[in-house]
Amino acid sequence: MVDRIPLSGPAMRAYTSDHPCTWCDGCGNYGIWSALKRALVELGIDPWNVLLCFDVGCHGNMSDKILGYRFHGLHGRVIPLAAGAKIANPELTVIALGGDGASFSEGIGHLVHGIRSNYDITFILHNNANYGLTTGQASALTPQGQPMNSSPEGIPERTLNSMDFVFSLEPTFVARGFSGAIPQLTTIFKAAIEHRGFSYVDVLQACPTYNRFATHEYLMERCFDIAGEKYDAADLSRARALAVDTTGRIVTGVLYCQSAVPSFMHQLATRRAAQTTLVEEVGLRDVASLCSVFQ
Amino acid sequence: MANRIAFKIVGAQGQGVNSVGEMVAKGLKRAGYCVFGNREYASLIKGGHSSYQLDVSDSLVRSSSALVDVVVSFNHHGILFNLHDLKPGGVLLHQTLQWTFERPEDQEYLRDREISVLYLPTEEILAKLHAKPILGNVLITAVVWAILGRAKEELFALVQERFGHKKDLLAQNLACIDAGWAFAQEQAEALRLSLPKPDDRWKNQLLLTGSQAMGLGMVHAGCRFFAGYPMTPASPLLSFLADIQKQSGMVIKQAEDEITAVQMTVGAMHAGTRAATATSGGGYDLMTETVSMCGISETPLVIVLAQRPGPGTGLPTWTAQGDLLLAVGSGHGEFPRVVLSVSDAVDAFSLMPEAFNLAEEWQLPVIVLTDKHTAEAISVVEHFPMDRTQLRRGALVTDARKLASLTSADRYATDEENGVSPRWLPGTKAATYCAQSYEHAPDGSFEESAQNAKAQMEKRMRKMKVLQQSLPGPELWVARDGEIGLEGAESAGSQIDLLVVGWGSTKGAALDALEELTATHVSSVIGYLHYTYLWPLKTERVRALAARAKRRVLVEGNQQGQLHMLLAMHGITTINDRILAYDGRAFSSTDLVVRLTSLLS
Repeated sequence: MVDRIPLSGPAMRAYTSDHPCTWCDGCGNYGIWSALKRALVELGIDPWNVLLCFDVGCHGNMSDKILGYRFHGLHGRVIPLAAGAKIANPELTVIALGGDGASFSEGIGHLVHGIRSNYDITFILHNNANYGLTTGQASALTPQGQPMNSSPEGIPERTLNSMDFVFSLEPTFVARGFSGAIPQLTTIFKAAIEHRGFSYVDVLQACPTYNRFATHEYLMERCFDIAGEKYDAADLSRARALAVDTTGRIVTGVLYCQSAVPSFMHQLATRRAAQTTLVEEVGLRDVASLCSVFQ
Repeated sequence: MANRIAFKIVGAQGQGVNSVGEMVAKGLKRAGYCVFGNREYASLIKGGHSSYQLDVSDSLVRSSSALVDVVVSFNHHGILFNLHDLKPGGVLLHQTLQWTFERPEDQEYLRDREISVLYLPTEEILAKLHAKPILGNVLITAVVWAILGRAKEELFALVQERFGHKKDLLAQNLACIDAGWAFAQEQAEALRLSLPKPDDRWKNQLLLTGSQAMGLGMVHAGCRFFAGYPMTPASPLLSFLADIQKQSGMVIKQAEDEITAVQMTVGAMHAGTRAATATSGGGYDLMTETVSMCGISETPLVIVLAQRPGPGTGLPTWTAQGDLLLAVGSGHGEFPRVVLSVSDAVDAFSLMPEAFNLAEEWQLPVIVLTDKHTAEAISVVEHFPMDRTQLRRGALVTDARKLASLTSADRYATDEENGVSPRWLPGTKAATYCAQSYEHAPDGSFEESAQNAKAQMEKRMRKMKVLQQSLPGPELWVARDGEIGLEGAESAGSQIDLLVVGWGSTKGAALDALEELTATHVSSVIGYLHYTYLWPLKTERVRALAARAKRRVLVEGNQQGQLHMLLAMHGITTINDRILAYDGRAFSSTDLVVRLTSLLS
């Protein structure tokens, strides 16, 4: 089910950077990179109308392998950075990309409050279950007991069940994809971008260098596209149960989506009548009337 | 200073100390007086000892005096803690039944200084009126108002304005005013304080805190987004901006932590609006990685750093000037930045547009220092001018034709002499680039070559060189022949007997002290050199003035003499005296007069 690229919008080459990719052979980032470009193009979004915000990690090395406006910031802080940009200019498509290392350790507070605030941004989790760029340390999502760099005898901490955690926060959009299933991932990204609120997209990806447990083949065997089944994505408890249970098949696709909760900007009573963005509103303001109460 | 009177309202937090102080301050301002109100309290909600001191005059008051004419105490702690704050001939008005002074030093103080002690039976009066304890505030305000010799009608109007929304309490409020008035007429007739003749010029001016002035300055500057995490003494700014968001239309975000607040601010600034955050030392520590990031990504950033004494949690509700070196040195790596400091409500307003202008023109972090004293002190200021502010956005490209001609590599182009390359916004139709926290090529892509690293570092740091030349220098106030005034940088200048150097909220106490000193030392020339822009540091003027001065002294609210250290770093080693305070208290003009007099003789 590959969608057509709209004739009026940008072509794939509009997002093509001259810089060669520097990921390992077989890295899941190639698939995410391809699906992201394809999703933007299929949605007809021009590179100058998108802001891609990158965390620091292997995925962040995408920041010069793709065009579009980009901000490659600090480790763990991509969500508030992206949220601030979206608040300032809601007409921009704002996408935040982060790894499981940053997002479930140093940046986990931002994830909690990003979901709670329901900022209108898409968050793509590059989930390879380890810290790749710093050469293979355990993340909170690495299976317990797994020997890793800096924990050669196996990780003592229990594994964080990321999907159970995310669903406990009452998100408005949750999807799971697999870096090897690029057409499906493209569809998921498009749905996430179009969702008005915080879209959480967990992309399971291979890390051929440091993740010896959930390999590309392992994920390919288990990932199952829910789009093939009769499925109601508005049922939170069913979605949560499906997402959490990865003992047999790993269900992928848009698992949960609801549009009843307004996004952050739509919750602000003082901005309901606003016809302009905060970016457009920059200018000197006469505050004489605000001063009068101090007389 | 002869025309100044001061009084201090003291009691447990939550008893209404602020309420009385604020009401009296507003009433006196409207009656034609300049007031300066300073609030001191502990880091808790109920019970700790707090005070509200008001200094009142027909001429400009910029700071608090050390001693007061009247202490109004809500409880016996106030009697014990604040008796010694009274001037000779002062009045202690208290509300503690059957109070007797047991301590010999108190008895001696009362006798030697001829202090009058007056008991106000608040509970008894309220019981008679069947009024709630909270109305004690109105009763006390009425007594104070009567002692000050003001008209009862003025007080009616004030109480009506402040508590008028509580209609059920109005009659009781009025009864309390009558009762307070009657008490003052019967008991306190002899204790009437003589206020100077009022001056109409104060009547219509503004009475507000530094935080309120700063918030208004931000709105005026076109700031449209503010993110903050509560921390004293930055919280009053967050609260004020939130309170006026309906009128300002700004988006105010109480973030989950300081890192979030500053990252959201950066995101919003990058997208092209004007945004700011504010915090105190501990919160600023958390923000510093982001400050460093903005140094390399060349993203404009405005952070208000409201100082309180550290280290650690320190003294949360007290004041300090201990974070100058933090502001100058925070963040890893080397990058350009601007550090400036407000000193009072006037420049808390006027410096905000400048902070945004500098951040955008130079594409760097601007750290605006303030402190608890400026943030919370209440003062009288002229209406802020609305037509003298500039909006400067530097190399921001918005014109469609110019945007079309840009290439990605223009973003961090290294050829500009002042280090500032074109900046354009996401969402504008142009070649795209990467705002990059890694060292980068001109288009923001990764580039680790030695040659590029050197070129980019030099590009960024060139901003500091140009800024050092173009930022306004320190201002010089000179007291001579009984007058005090600003002196232009170009004036040839005669010999100076004493040169005082300071920054931040020291200014108010320093200028009040100079005014007093020039009255008593008519033949001496005293200069006060005030630094507003602290980094990059300008030194030509201080160097020249120091050479002209017989004595040179630096006044700072920190233990090490941090500006002194920065000046020494720039080779200014001739300022030999230092007056330092690191006890959490703001400088008082009274103390400075004593300290500076010893240097003059």
